[in-house]
Amino acid sequence: MAKTKKLTGRKRDERVAAYVFVAPAVILLIAFLVVPMIYTVYFSGFKYQIMRPDAIEFIGLENYQKLFSDKNFWMALKNTVYFTVIVVPCQCALALGLALLVSKKFRGVAIFRTMYFSPQLTSMVVISVLWSVLYNANPNTGLINSLLVSLGFDPISFLNDADTAMNSIIFMSAWQGAGYQMMIFLAGLQGIPRDQYEAASVDGATKFKQFLYITLPGLKGTIKYVIMITMIQAMKLFTQPYIMTQGGPKNSTKTLVYYIYTQGFQKGNFGYACSIAAVFFVIVVCMSMAMKKITAATD
Amino acid sequence: MTKSMKFSARFGKFMFYFGNIIIGIIFVSPLIWMISASLKPEAEIFANMDSLTTFLPVQASLDNYAEVFSRLNLPQVFKNTLLYIGLILILDLLVNSMCGYALAKFEFKGKGAILNLVIALMVLPMEAIMLPLYIEMSQLGWVNTLAALVIPFVAKCFSIYMFRQFFCDVPDDLIEAAAIDGCSPIGTFFKIVVPISKTVYATVFILDFVAHWNDFMWPFLVMTGEDKRTIQLAVQSFFGTQPVHYSAIMAALVVSAIPMIIMFVFMQKYYVEGIASSGIKG
Amino acid sequence: MKKAVSMAMAVTVALSTAATTVPVMADDPVELTIWSPTDTEAIEAWWEEKLAEWNEANPDIQVSREAIDRSDSYAYDNKIATAVTSSDLPDIFYVDGPQVSYYAANGITVPLDDYFSEDDLADFVDSAVAQNTYDGSLYAIGATESSVAFYYNKDYLTECGVDVEDLDSRTIDNPITWSEFAEIAEKCTTDDYVGAHIIMDHGEGLPYALEPMYLSAGKDYISEDGTTADGYVNSEEAVETTSYLADMIAKGYANVEPITDEFLNGACATMLGGSWEIATLEANADFEWGITYYPVNDDTSEAVSPCGDWSAAISKDCENVDAAGQFLQWLMNTENVATYAAAIAKPATRTSAYEEEAMADYQEGSRALIKEQLENTAVPRPRTPSYATFSSAYAEAMSNIFSDAASNGEVDNDYIQSELDTVSDTFTEDYETYYAE
Repeated sequence: MAKTKKLTGRKRDERVAAYVFVAPAVILLIAFLVVPMIYTVYFSGFKYQIMRPDAIEFIGLENYQKLFSDKNFWMALKNTVYFTVIVVPCQCALALGLALLVSKKFRGVAIFRTMYFSPQLTSMVVISVLWSVLYNANPNTGLINSLLVSLGFDPISFLNDADTAMNSIIFMSAWQGAGYQMMIFLAGLQGIPRDQYEAASVDGATKFKQFLYITLPGLKGTIKYVIMITMIQAMKLFTQPYIMTQGGPKNSTKTLVYYIYTQGFQKGNFGYACSIAAVFFVIVVCMSMAMKKITAATD
Repeated sequence: MTKSMKFSARFGKFMFYFGNIIIGIIFVSPLIWMISASLKPEAEIFANMDSLTTFLPVQASLDNYAEVFSRLNLPQVFKNTLLYIGLILILDLLVNSMCGYALAKFEFKGKGAILNLVIALMVLPMEAIMLPLYIEMSQLGWVNTLAALVIPFVAKCFSIYMFRQFFCDVPDDLIEAAAIDGCSPIGTFFKIVVPISKTVYATVFILDFVAHWNDFMWPFLVMTGEDKRTIQLAVQSFFGTQPVHYSAIMAALVVSAIPMIIMFVFMQKYYVEGIASSGIKG
Repeated sequence: MKKAVSMAMAVTVALSTAATTVPVMADDPVELTIWSPTDTEAIEAWWEEKLAEWNEANPDIQVSREAIDRSDSYAYDNKIATAVTSSDLPDIFYVDGPQVSYYAANGITVPLDDYFSEDDLADFVDSAVAQNTYDGSLYAIGATESSVAFYYNKDYLTECGVDVEDLDSRTIDNPITWSEFAEIAEKCTTDDYVGAHIIMDHGEGLPYALEPMYLSAGKDYISEDGTTADGYVNSEEAVETTSYLADMIAKGYANVEPITDEFLNGACATMLGGSWEIATLEANADFEWGITYYPVNDDTSEAVSPCGDWSAAISKDCENVDAAGQFLQWLMNTENVATYAAAIAKPATRTSAYEEEAMADYQEGSRALIKEQLENTAVPRPRTPSYATFSSAYAEAMSNIFSDAASNGEVDNDYIQSELDTVSDTFTEDYETYYAE
């Protein structure tokens, strides 16, 4: 009897603690993410030239009608999905590989971790400028093409051909972003108890078997998390096309966030940009909820 | 151990380092290019882009750095940046880890809804909510104050979710043991769970520090005035002059990357193998 | 927390009402704030010195300036746009030439006619006044101009058998033609060199640097009154002009992805480049180079050159337009224009400024040529509120056309027509949505 009472008291304490713990974050999220988002949805019902906020005009669903017949929107959606589908597995696998390389303690491990993480420490502007030059179509100026030509291949116009531009950005992005996910995998790897490996190695299990039966299951939660955030970040692709290709050539690297930005800010169609943002939001939320369902089912 | 085994162990070790170095060079090359360009005169930066010599400064000079130091009030810029990022990070680690812990370990009404909200809000691109957020800042009278830089960015869905994910793996026995010892739920969190979760805190710290360090657009919109300049604003000011001098830009970018690199190397010590496991086992 | 926010809001409201209810003293000085992009040390020092001078002489109008750290001009426009939503604009802000109409048409800036009479403006080059005039009123006033000319690497051209002395001897009445331009480019294109460099920034640089080609062929991008693009940017003349440019790319005379400093590094023989390149070349080039006038169309021989630069405008949120106007009158006087232009190494807008000591190097050589172009052949970019939309649509179309030409090795005029039609449609849609009556 006394024990039950103690437990219910504990439960009540826990509930109070729970609300104390979640309240600050939830209030801040509502104030500075939900409220602006509601504004965005609200503005999507207006004809709104960004420089003339006092002359906005309610037009109902007109922006959405325009959106669904806007071939640039569909193109941007297609590009965004393509980017995400390709980059997520590549980047996550690369990140996991890197994390395994530097998860154990060895002489110089901090240096190697820093090296793998360094594309994150270098400004995206530098990376984009450098890669634009590396990718340059002219073998006299582009390092990659000069190597290709000296090996007897034809030069490739990486960023200037609608067929290769997005793939070139994918390659660069996976390379640049992998360090971020590597850190999360590293944190996950620290959580796998050391003695499991020791036991396995006494039993004579190979490294590969240890990876398959200890590391992967031990990282299950981390992998799910990493895939989810990589997907969401990939859907928000903006900086690389903005600096390297300006959405071109022939719209092949125009992504949804890039389209939102150029419509809303460069061209000033703020109301229209808000409608794209609202649709974008619905699409990605559906995708991540589906992801959550799928991963929950695998538990 | 036989001689050949010794040899193969050594060879394995050699290959391990060799592989790491090759991969490492591929990853670190832009940083090297940036540093090398920052030591070159303007006319040489984009010369020889078809050969590997572009990664080497032939006639190195510190002139570009001299320009950066004379054009920018660096102590002030670093102070501004570290102050606002420091404030964000302290609050970020506290608020988001608490929320993540509650979502991982407590049972309460609305838990599922909050978790879904967190996942949904991760999706919001800053570009889509920038303008409404500015309007909100203006209504609160926060434009051009520290509050506009800090408060909207304390709660982060990515961080909450990451904390939750890691706290889920903390064994329930450990928490129950603390409860039986008479520790309150809040006390358990701060006294038992936080000390064994340094790796997660370090990870969130690194990732959020880097993200804010590179943040340009928001500080640009809400802050005006040289005395309020953050590091990225200072760096970007080099792009505003025609013709663009990449030599000075590269030097400014190197200077701006140094604190990040120091921070990263320093945080390494929290990635010690088995911290979590040894703690949990006890 | 919620309470704290509402408290904060209450305090803010209280403070702001307090601020407005304080009676304005008659001898309180007017305070003016200026926004302009952060610039070189020389310009930052110029501002400090000049504002100190003004503030001392005018205790009743105190002026301060905020340097805006823009990453590109779009970022600067974003800052203006966000400030507009909440009436946070400064009293005076700088604006790039072609944006003047956009801001004026949206009521962000106010007319300056009361402060600059026709006599005052007579001293300014026509192009600068025209660029800053919208709907019959002056909306901005600037101290500096810009231009584009044809640069050539003398050492290399001589090697290729081009008559460099002929190029050196050209005058404004006898500039090189497009076919001469293409001929030189062809002669100089080898495995290691490209013949020409054309601005290829995928942004404002394209419409800016290329417009004279279209004007010389007889049709501007947009109608004179700024309302129509159909029949202009997609006209037969425009397609021909575009086709000429695309042909240079298709044949490999110009790089579709030129690297930065291509001309300076001796990787290309000639360049259609901005007036700002002069200083860079003087300081860094290790070869002999020359400069001549912007090329003209073979049939019309009509000489045209680009122009336009940042200018100062008074915002709608300015409470003391008179004080701001007075300040601008002073800021744009001959001496200030001359010293500012000299510090920023750009050509000045005022003819009289060229007689000042500070601008002595514009009397001869490459800078004199820039000045001559500005005074005689400069035409501003289209004055239309939909310019920003036009500009990004045009840059996108040209990028597509050029990469199409580069990858196919030949020019497809139907494709050019369809891309330019898209530009025209994009412009028309924007104009009709927001500005047509």
